Amino acid sequence: MLSRRSTLLAASAIAAVVGFSLPQAAHAADQVVKIGIDASLTGGDANEAELVKNGALMAIEEANAAHVVKGVKFEGYVLDDGTATAGQYDPAQAAINARKFVADKAVLGEVGPQMSGAAKAMIPIASWANLAMITESATNPAMTDPQNAAQYRPNGKPVFFRTVATDAYQGPNLANYFADTLKVKTLYVLDDSGAYGEGIADAFQAQAAKKGITLLGRDKLDPKAADYSAVLTKIKELNPDALFFGGVLQAGVKVVKQVYDILPHTMIKGGGDGLVGGEIFTAAGYPAAEGWYATQASPHVSDAANTKDFVAKYKAKFKMSPDDYTITAYDGTLVLIDSVKRVKEAGKPLTRENVRDMVATAKVPTLQGTVAFDENGDIQDKVISIFQAHDDKADTACKLEDASCQFKYIGVAPQS
Amino acid sequence: MTAVDVYLQQAINGLSLGAMYSLLALGFTLVYGILELINFSHFNVFMVGSFIGLGMLELFGVMPNGAALTGFALVGVLLATFAVTMLGSGVLGVLIERVALRPLRNIRGPASMITTIGVSYVLFNVILLSVGADAKNFPSPLPSVSFAIGGAVLRLREILIWVISLGLMGGLTYFVQFTKMGKAMRATAQDPEAARMMGVEVDRVIITAFFLGSALAGAGGLMFGLYYNITSYVIGFQAGLRAFTAAVLGGIGNVPGAMLGGIIIGLIEAFASYGFTAFGEHWLGAKWADVIVFSILVLVLVFKPAGLLGRLAPNKS
Amino acid sequence: MAVANVIGAQSSADQKAARQNGAIIALIGLLMLAFPFLGLAFQGLGFDWDIGDDDVDSMSLALGFVTLALGLNIVVGFAGLLDLGYAAFFAIGAYTYGVFTAYQIMPAWSSAWDIVAAVGLAEKVHRDGMDLVHFTLSFWLALPIAAGLTAVCGVVFGFPTLRLRGDYLAIVTLGFGEIVPIVFRNTPAVTNGAAGLNGVMAPQFFGHSFQVNPKPYYYVGLALVFLLIVISIRLRDSRIGRSWMAVREDETAAGAMGVDHVKSKLLAFAIGAAFAGMTGVFYVAKLQTATPDMFGFPVSVMILVMVVFGGMGSVWGVVAGAMALSMLQSWFLPSLTGWIHRGGEAVGNDWLQQVDLARSTELIFGLILVLTMLYRRDGLIPATRKQAALSFDAQNVQGVRRGGFDTVAAAKILATMPKRGGNLLEVRGVTVKFGGLTALNAVDITVPSGGVVAVIGPNGSGKSTLFNVITGLVPADSGSIKFDGGEILGLKPHEILERGIARTFQNIRLFANLPVLTNVLIGQHARLRTGVFGAILRMPGTAAEEKGALQRAIDIAALFGNRLTPRLNQTASALSYANRRRVEIARALATQPKILLLDEPTAGMNPAETLELAEQIKSLHGLGLTILIIEHKLDVVTQLADTVVVLDHGEKLTEGKPAEVRRNDDVLRAYLGRAATEAARAS
Repeated sequence: MLSRRSTLLAASAIAAVVGFSLPQAAHAADQVVKIGIDASLTGGDANEAELVKNGALMAIEEANAAHVVKGVKFEGYVLDDGTATAGQYDPAQAAINARKFVADKAVLGEVGPQMSGAAKAMIPIASWANLAMITESATNPAMTDPQNAAQYRPNGKPVFFRTVATDAYQGPNLANYFADTLKVKTLYVLDDSGAYGEGIADAFQAQAAKKGITLLGRDKLDPKAADYSAVLTKIKELNPDALFFGGVLQAGVKVVKQVYDILPHTMIKGGGDGLVGGEIFTAAGYPAAEGWYATQASPHVSDAANTKDFVAKYKAKFKMSPDDYTITAYDGTLVLIDSVKRVKEAGKPLTRENVRDMVATAKVPTLQGTVAFDENGDIQDKVISIFQAHDDKADTACKLEDASCQFKYIGVAPQS
Repeated sequence: MTAVDVYLQQAINGLSLGAMYSLLALGFTLVYGILELINFSHFNVFMVGSFIGLGMLELFGVMPNGAALTGFALVGVLLATFAVTMLGSGVLGVLIERVALRPLRNIRGPASMITTIGVSYVLFNVILLSVGADAKNFPSPLPSVSFAIGGAVLRLREILIWVISLGLMGGLTYFVQFTKMGKAMRATAQDPEAARMMGVEVDRVIITAFFLGSALAGAGGLMFGLYYNITSYVIGFQAGLRAFTAAVLGGIGNVPGAMLGGIIIGLIEAFASYGFTAFGEHWLGAKWADVIVFSILVLVLVFKPAGLLGRLAPNKS
Repeated sequence: MAVANVIGAQSSADQKAARQNGAIIALIGLLMLAFPFLGLAFQGLGFDWDIGDDDVDSMSLALGFVTLALGLNIVVGFAGLLDLGYAAFFAIGAYTYGVFTAYQIMPAWSSAWDIVAAVGLAEKVHRDGMDLVHFTLSFWLALPIAAGLTAVCGVVFGFPTLRLRGDYLAIVTLGFGEIVPIVFRNTPAVTNGAAGLNGVMAPQFFGHSFQVNPKPYYYVGLALVFLLIVISIRLRDSRIGRSWMAVREDETAAGAMGVDHVKSKLLAFAIGAAFAGMTGVFYVAKLQTATPDMFGFPVSVMILVMVVFGGMGSVWGVVAGAMALSMLQSWFLPSLTGWIHRGGEAVGNDWLQQVDLARSTELIFGLILVLTMLYRRDGLIPATRKQAALSFDAQNVQGVRRGGFDTVAAAKILATMPKRGGNLLEVRGVTVKFGGLTALNAVDITVPSGGVVAVIGPNGSGKSTLFNVITGLVPADSGSIKFDGGEILGLKPHEILERGIARTFQNIRLFANLPVLTNVLIGQHARLRTGVFGAILRMPGTAAEEKGALQRAIDIAALFGNRLTPRLNQTASALSYANRRRVEIARALATQPKILLLDEPTAGMNPAETLELAEQIKSLHGLGLTILIIEHKLDVVTQLADTVVVLDHGEKLTEGKPAEVRRNDDVLRAYLGRAATEAARAS
């Protein structure tokens, strides 16, 4: 690879300045299988992206160390779909990344992307190549909805799988919790104009209406704007019981901050998994973040007994604490590795299509339990966990930027 | 809250936004008045200013969620932070002029403007790469004092912004109107050749304009931090474009015009984001605020390029 | 004779260089055509190198940027309009294809859609128990449709804004560029809002979908680039391209030379927009996704960096710039990062292993922009080459000509008019006010057909204002100006030129960065007919017209003997003062004027040059050209003029034969003041 690039660059007279590197004659005995890892490593979601990326890389490293698949060496091929100017994921970059994965014949599966907006751009491209994608945190329901087969499965079979539940559960289940447990009667809904934010806010809003909560208003925010006080003043005027914000942290931290400044502190506030990230504590911080509800579209496993070893190893290796989506990313990678293994065991050629077929029929024991998918690629066990931010001054071990301990686990959200 | 309270609250919000835009608009107007140059690097001098302020406050030991300061400590820390931030951004502005713009001063065409776009990009990315993409919690030394006016709330930070903006704008007006350098600036804006012949050192005038404009932008950046308690590498573009709209609306090159324009744009943004209800529907709202601001920019430039107060009419052919 | 030889030698050298360039371009073209298969060639030669699909994919993305840069180059490079919202047109093109193929935008089906479906533009789909319309616009049809639509958008947006001066225009376009994506985001019924359009259909070619195979995209991209290069070059070297450059260099002078600057700018804007529109279709078909966030200010800036880095106005420079920066992004930085990591491993440095240059791409773009502006403003491949100083031989290819023009040659070139009776130009009661100042007060001037009228007067007496009001650069408050029987007051400068009034300027307004030849060619603008399509298609008629125009320009320059002929390819700014005056006159003559307005033509010339020019003007007069001249040198006035008009403080002081005027008291007083007049009389 490298030498070819050098040649091309020499042709463009740039390499002359930089010099050449010699061709490498590395012919390893093992076949290299690349697992694409796409995350938003630049921008507002960078911290969480780093966590999930490391989770996937750890699974790959362990599989190689244990020689899980004979004759195969796994490699992570990490691409960043975030750009500096977008300040978060950039759909165009995600599409470019998808084409890069597809164009590299060694890539047989992908873990990611983190964000639904990126996933929507990547899936059509992956579909043409039959490249299985397993997302750890893209929860927008549209991508696995069979109605949308024409755009997300142009080549026929589903290629997009999730080791998390979707916003079709995440939003409504939190709405159930708001109605049943918190006794919310009136509501205002905001979103950050993103694919994910809009979707989860719509789902929340619809279920809230079913539960008899009165909607006082709905607004879209510009994630790049600095000042939301005009909208928040309007909300203050309407004085709802609860506020729901659908979106990610780029707008989220500013919302959290300004909500604290403008709205009564007793108002019930909540959002989806987009709020779960260290930045809400480092940038918005306490007391603003205090009391905000958030969800994760997975069982809360990072505290569970069976993940102790994993968490300890992860912390030792990467010097950071894994969150639930680190584990779903790890699990997704395990599924891919297992699928490759089963293709080999079945004596079939290692092609993307065969790997995809194995993913579709996977039944893999993972940290969050046995992962299996339904016919659309959604995980079969759909669990939504609810968390609430709380400043526990006594808990000095929990660092401020560590969302996985700053958000206190409340329980599993009521399924409707 | 009653409807009157809401409008009062929006006016308070809008005036605070407007004060920041005014400070930033002054920098555009000073440089434009003298060089007829739209200085895109100004956008991110504002952003850098907020980070200098952040660094200073942390240096003084003011931490997020820490105890608020009072009395002399508060005044002292604020004064020192403003002084250093303004000095730092001012020097940054002068550096930009010296390194990137002076060699191009006599080049016809858009070369200088294109260069400022490049400088702006460099500042943006240097901050991004050095502090990271996540938003930063901006420590505030201000005690959370607020006054209720009916249902509307007026907080200490709003009063602070108004007072400091007014002070800085007053100081600038005095400087431009009454000091020798200020007069030299106005003379250069009118006719640089004639000013040069009358013994005005045009280089010094230009450097002063860059210094003052950038220092005001830095002060604006610091206020942004104190007001929103947050800053990040992306804040420059939107604020800058709105401030530029403000400068154009007031009449670019015109100092009082920039102040007036800033206030108007701030108020428009606040009220447009709030929107209004008519015929049973809610109109406008936050998502249209940008479109409204930029439409004003386009319409003013097309139909009344001299702005509300007009230029001081330097007539360069 | 010698002239032909030296010019011949020059052009044969040019031809040789052109052949060389042509060979290089052909070679690069061949390499590009073969690029996806070069890996096979390498392997055939025994190298372990491959061109993978990922490389072809990166390259086709780069080609997309080349087409964008070529489009922006027409707007910024050729026409000099700094457009900071160029990505908006890119977005409009992308959404044109996206909306009409994506599954997000599906109105309800009714039988009216049968017709649309019958021609293959829509199909019926069934969802949620409803019949819906899914549009299936063909990629190949979308290309011209998007080009047309964005061109129309360009005109609609450009019409009110293009009259703004350069820096204001930049800001207005920036605002426009911001508004378009926001409107897309806020109108989900048409665009699916923030979520954008996914699953945009891949192009099909005779029933075969491109899917994700990068090669067909690559070849479509290559074909687009080829097409746009040809269009760019043909436009550049045509009447249209010259009018853009004229407007870029000096809008006022361009107007006075017959270029309608509004039309010219709109044309540039529309064509640039059309390029972006086509690229938008290509881009969205390739990425199969479109969201409002893909088309913001950073995209506009990136394309601008490519144009600036390559060389504004230089077609090959822009191609090279866009290619280089795209490759920097997709190959060079990742590779360099890899090498640094390897180096870091070798020396055991953790920090080096963490470096990721790809994240610094935008920083590097910013630095490139600044450094290019500071140290290489003309870019990688400048649009105009620096001309070497002329050799002695070259300077003297033609014999030195003293005295007037070669009337035989001149008569052939100039469309001379027979002397007729009557007045050609009648200025009646023209008043011009600037604020409180009256620059002209009810001035009457009559220029008989075939006559020479001189206007004299002290500085500030309104002479140049008179010229400006005649040529339409300044509006009159009252009065009338009749030319050749028709009223011309209120006409635009280019319309006035078309009637047959050409002028020179007191402070010389040539198109300074353009060659002498091009300057003279621009003078012929109003007399040529080539339009956009003619220029692009270059049919025989167009080619003949262009050839004739070129020959005429060379002939006109040749009237000045060896003054201009050897310097035809030099930029106007490189000429001496006197030669610049001559070029300006040549340019005015090229417009085929009926009347020539000369504003202090001999200013700054030495006595010998002044004499030469006076003789030349005399010979123009001899050929029947009517002349109105502003001149300070009274001996020149005496020698040339039939009638002298004296202006003072915007009023006509007197009018008469040169000899009479010289003796007029009022004139002396106006020029010299009262005391001096007394002294003059006394002596």
